[in-house]
Formats: sequence, C-alpha cells, structure tokens
Amino acid sequence: MGLFSDIYNTVARFFRPQDEQEEGASKAVAANRLKLVLMQDRTNLTPKILEQMRGELIDLLSKYLEMDKELLELNFEQEGDQVALMLSIPVIRAKDEDEIEEAIKASREENSEEIGEEENSEEAEDAEDAEETKENNEDKEQEETVMESSADSESDSESKQEPEAETPAKPKRKNSKKVTKPEGMDEAENNKPVSAQEPEETNVN
Amino acid sequence: MTGRVIVITSGKGGVGKTTTSANIGTALAKEGYKVVLIDTDLGLRNLDLLLGLENRIVYTIVDVIEERCKLKQALVKDKKNPNLSLLAAAQTRDKSAVNAEQLKDICDKLKEKNDFVLIDCPAGIEQGFQNAVAGASEAIVVTTPEMSAIRDADRIIGLLEAKEEIKSYKLLLNRVRPSLIKSNDMMSVDDVVEILSCPLIGIIPEDTGIITSTNKGEPIVNDENSMAGKAYRNVAQRILGEEVPFLDLDEPKGFMAKIKNVFAKLKAKV
Repeated sequence: MGLFSDIYNTVARFFRPQDEQEEGASKAVAANRLKLVLMQDRTNLTPKILEQMRGELIDLLSKYLEMDKELLELNFEQEGDQVALMLSIPVIRAKDEDEIEEAIKASREENSEEIGEEENSEEAEDAEDAEETKENNEDKEQEETVMESSADSESDSESKQEPEAETPAKPKRKNSKKVTKPEGMDEAENNKPVSAQEPEETNVN
Repeated sequence: MTGRVIVITSGKGGVGKTTTSANIGTALAKEGYKVVLIDTDLGLRNLDLLLGLENRIVYTIVDVIEERCKLKQALVKDKKNPNLSLLAAAQTRDKSAVNAEQLKDICDKLKEKNDFVLIDCPAGIEQGFQNAVAGASEAIVVTTPEMSAIRDADRIIGLLEAKEEIKSYKLLLNRVRPSLIKSNDMMSVDDVVEILSCPLIGIIPEDTGIITSTNKGEPIVNDENSMAGKAYRNVAQRILGEEVPFLDLDEPKGFMAKIKNVFAKLKAKV
C-alpha cells in the first residue's frame, strides 16, 4: 500500500505545475519569516511598535478610504542601501467629500479633547522619562524605554510621538514611504502581519 | 522544586548548538516537564527563529537584568507546548551587556519553578561562554565528526573540567553521515569518542529534514518520521536517566531493503 502511494506521489509530482509545488514549500515560509525578522533587526522596530504604527496608519487612512483593515500589509523592502516602507491595502472604495470632512472633524474633536486631558499626564510622563534616562545613562539603545513608556501610558497621542522621536533612523538607510494600492490581496493572506494581541498574550503568563 | 540547569555548548560555531537546544527542550517539554530555554547569544539570537517565536518577543534577557520587566514577563510560551518557554537574547546588544553573576542569578530563579533550564551558549570561549556556563551544573558538548569541530570541543571540555560547578558533561555527535563513515571518509562515532574521551549522550544523523523544520520554525522532534527527530527524542530520554540504545544509522542491507529505503527517501522529499 505505502509503496504504491509513494510511487503515485512521485509520479504525480512530475506532472504538477511548478508554482503549485512551491506554494506549500518551506522555503517560501522561510523567506517570509526571514524578511520580517531582518526588517525588525535593521530598523530596531519591535513587533509591538510595528503593530502600533499599523494601527495609527489605519486610523489616518480610514478618514479617506474604506478598506479591508484585516488585509492591510506593512512591509519594509530593501533596495540597495535604501529601505522603503511598503504599505498594501485592499481599498473597498474612496469616501466622498462629506464623509471625509466628517471624519476629519471627528478626529479633530477627539484630539482637542485628548490634548485637554493630557496636559497633566504629559507632565507626569515627562518626569518619569527623565528618571528613566537617569537610570539608563549608559544605555545607547532606547528601544526598550520606548516600549515601556508606551505600554505604561494610556493616552494615544503621547505614544504616537515616541517611536519617531526615540528610534532615530540609521543614517545609511533613508526611509521613504510608498503607498501601493490593492494588488496584494492574496499576498496579504500568505504573509499576514503580526497580530496585535500575540506578544502581550504570551508575555503576561 | 529544583530543576537541572544544562548548558549546550561547542566552541565552534555552526555545529548545531541552537538546533540541539530547541529540540532537546521541545522533547523534554513533550514528556511533560517544565522547560525554559535561554538564548545567551546576545546580538546574534536565533533560538527564537528555530522555535518559530520570533514575532512574540517583547522583552529579552537584557530587559530582565536591567530591570525593565519581571523575569516572568520575559518568558515567551511556546505555540504548542505550554510547558516550554523561551527567554530570548537581546538582538541589539553585545555580550558585555550581561555578566556571569547576573546569568547565574537568573538560572537560580528559573530552576526553582522549572524541571529543566537549558542554556544555548554562543560560539567561542570568551565572555559569552563564561556567562552561559556560570549558572549550569551540567553540560552537553555538541560536535560534528570534523577536525575543526573536534579540536574546539576538546578545548571546551578542558575548560568545563576546570569549572567546579559543572558536575557532568556529555558529548553529542551531530550531523553524522553513515555512508561517509562506511567509505572511511568520515571519522566514526568510536573514533570521536576515543579522541575526546567523553561519555556520549547522543548521535544525530545528518538529516535534510532539519532544513525544512528550521524554515518552518518547528523543531524536528515534532516529526515522528524523522531519524534526527528520533535521535533527539532519545537524547531527551537519556537526560531523564533512561537507558536507550543508540540508533543504528546503517542503511538496511539487501535488495528489498534498498528499494524500501529509496522510497522512504523519496517520501521524505515529497
């Protein structure tokens, strides 16, 4: 039995189209995992920070576009000595002017509310930050500090500024931003971005 | 509970320390023991990749030492086996971010709540090695049947002997190719054991499955059909004190056996 199914599999394999063979192949899995990990290593961006960035981009873009948020894909690609940020979003439709205006209005109101609330918490946060920098004086690497303070702070706009301010882009690698439209529906499925809850879930335990 | 702390070391790089750590750790956890794997290769971490946990790491061993998080927070649980967890190395720091005393302290804390603490040691004999060995009381020296790896293993064994804390050390011979040994082009297991005069804890055959298992981030011990997987499961049994005979790596003889073997190989490829 086993012998015949082996023969069948081997013969069938020769007649299968090339890409079908490659689809489930582990090399594709390896290449995708490696790209993600190398991107994290090169940019010092942790999965948590990436997830945060992704969330903020969704917030921003959904003012103007109705899109499939689940399939939004964020990738860094290296071309020569430049790193490009590739954003692939399946767009369902563009919003019309009224909707856009409304969304912008809504977000402004939200912001002004937050700013009001925040003035106090910001001071507290600053004091905390100062303490931290004292402690970690020799610490050149600030990524962890970012993570902690952003985890502590409840307010969105506070954490919004931190990744940019505290993880400086390496001089060699300029960051340019590109936005590509739908194209990658299936790609997105193969290469699903890190999910939001995972890191926290695993570390609470 | 006081768990056992075992360091997995080799001297030479690329002989399979990390693969060995991931597989022995997984195999022991599958047996129901609580296991923590520590990656001490600061700046060049890879154990997360072999376990498929690279996207779940938030805190690293350096965060624990510099008190940015609690030890418990930095332990990343395995996807499949809740008995297994990983304490990852920091990727952005170097070996000097940690000292031997701090690592020993972490090991001491971890062994209170776990049956096994396995330490994946970096290559070399400098501070990284000294740190990794500090908290351990047992060692597994990984080598391959190649001259350079054996020479480095000998050096490591010498260093381990000089350490009072290391109560026992065993040899794990990796990437053995029976066909080459048969044609007298590779040193045999007996040759290596005789040269190093160190008790053996496992013989792992070269297995292409290792490549695919690494690609997928899933240790090969989870593959019931793999020879290397079986060999690693046997190593885990020996660590637990069972007497398991070493695998017979010789390919089966006889015409029918050869045919079966060819199909087995084809199957493994498909």
